[in-house]
Amino acid sequence: MTTLIFVLLAGLAVGSAIALVVQRNPLYSAISLIGVFIALAGLYLTLAAPFLAAIQIIVYAGAIMVLVVFVIMLLNVEEEEHKPLRLGYLTAVAVLLAAVLFGEAGFILYFMGNSTLEPPDPNMAGNASNVGLTSSIGTGLFTNYLLPFEITSVLLLMAIVGAMTLARRVGLRPTDLVVPGSQVLPRHSIDPKAIGDATEVESSTTDEARQLLGLANAPRRRPEE
Amino acid sequence: MEWLTNNIGPEGLKAIGQFIGINIAFVVVLMIVAYTVLAERRILALIQGRLGPNRVGYGGVLQPFADLLKFIFKEDIVPDKSTKFVYFLAPFIAIVGALMTIIVYPFGPEINLPFVGVIKLVVAQFDVGLLYVLAITSIGVYGIALAGWSSNNKYSLMGGLRASAQLISYELSLGLALVGVVLLSGTLDLYQIVEQQSGYWWLGGVVPIPRWNIFPQVFGFVIYLISAIAETNRVPFDLPEAETELVAGFHTEYSALKFALFFMAEYVNMFTVSMLAATLFFGGWNFPWLDLVVAPGGVLFALLSVVAFLLKVLFFLFLYIWLRGTLPRFRFDQLMNFGWKFLLPAAILNVVLTATVVFVIIYFRA
Repeated sequence: MTTLIFVLLAGLAVGSAIALVVQRNPLYSAISLIGVFIALAGLYLTLAAPFLAAIQIIVYAGAIMVLVVFVIMLLNVEEEEHKPLRLGYLTAVAVLLAAVLFGEAGFILYFMGNSTLEPPDPNMAGNASNVGLTSSIGTGLFTNYLLPFEITSVLLLMAIVGAMTLARRVGLRPTDLVVPGSQVLPRHSIDPKAIGDATEVESSTTDEARQLLGLANAPRRRPEE
Repeated sequence: MEWLTNNIGPEGLKAIGQFIGINIAFVVVLMIVAYTVLAERRILALIQGRLGPNRVGYGGVLQPFADLLKFIFKEDIVPDKSTKFVYFLAPFIAIVGALMTIIVYPFGPEINLPFVGVIKLVVAQFDVGLLYVLAITSIGVYGIALAGWSSNNKYSLMGGLRASAQLISYELSLGLALVGVVLLSGTLDLYQIVEQQSGYWWLGGVVPIPRWNIFPQVFGFVIYLISAIAETNRVPFDLPEAETELVAGFHTEYSALKFALFFMAEYVNMFTVSMLAATLFFGGWNFPWLDLVVAPGGVLFALLSVVAFLLKVLFFLFLYIWLRGTLPRFRFDQLMNFGWKFLLPAAILNVVLTATVVFVIIYFRA
């Protein structure tokens, strides 16, 4: 029974992974990747790690893949065209590496097939293991592995802060330089003569700009709350 | 019974029991959802000063069946340039994600039956039951996002993206609001959380107050309720399917039975969320002073407990419908502001305060 479930889940994982690589439409690839994660969560369950299975679905399939699907939908990523391969020698390298992979898999199967080790049956009375339970993971995270836990959370915080810093847009102020077709550059960061077609904004307050542009009598917008 | 046990084995028996349980739960949920649709139309009508559908059957009780027949016989329009596979997949993800969560909820206490032994009225008891509910809720986002995208319609895409953004934003405060309950109960297993709410606190030694989690976790409950209403895309958070703005949002291009699946998925989500609220905060199947009156462990107690649980769930469904008839809807930027800038810090504050109080109690008692 366990073997049947393992074969089903592993088949789903491998099949989804193959579909992920072979598909041309990027959204189908994303859905195949979600299938891979769900199959992996099932495999974690067969290894008596229910917490990890649930977290795999919540974090990977439920958050990271939603982000990937958003990006694909928003950026309207096109289907791949079939282009001829430019680096022809890569095919030979790929075949060689695939042969190595299958060789390793065969090696493991041969030695595992001949060994007398069996994975402990989690249903037997004396074999109840505490490793996968939520309470054990929580205890371990907050006692033995507290430093790696805190460092990992600081790492994630760094990633978020970095993303926010890179994505900030500088607001247009009256002494800024506007290079047509490019981003807004604050005055202190570039030399206008070097760029060539930087246009100076000639007014120094917003009211002067409104006068210059002829918007003096336009109705004012309500200030943002 | 012995013949069955000898031939099929205890595991097989348990599997058969779970299969029967799943079928019963499925039928009960679908019936309640069908009548929730009718109740919503009647109650909304009452709030708005008119009569709802009351022609089909006595007072309109056969209306859900009439609706089902209509959905089956409607013409199934598939937009021409849509991505067909994803277009067909999306309502299934929505409905499957909505229905998969009902197996972890405890409907009642243990019953001691003469032939079968002790059975718990829960289909599947995991020790990560709460995480399972959160995981399946996360998967349900895909139904909406993929539906919006695959319809090849800019209004559907906008509706789908807005709905997905709203869902993933409010999932955070939902999860954090539930952490308070987990801190108090010390377990993620829903059956045990309900069992732990079955005692009483004796006020002044005389008045028994039921040991429900709502009393220590009022703020957690309010945060949970707001997040849950946002998660199920209901008023006041239903901009993704606002009729006046986006035609019908992500399910604009869906007709007939696929639309019926989305519609049902929304109501099953409402039902699931109400069941979670009743289970985690209002004591599940514990009727307030029932076990001082009727003997626990018997069939009568179990029946009355199941009725109590369903009454609590129906109260929450009524609350949903009441809110729909009363409140205007949030604009999308107000919605996102509220979710990220107010609700998430409030949920974190709730976790910190609960953890502090629990720590102080454990530290000074032991």
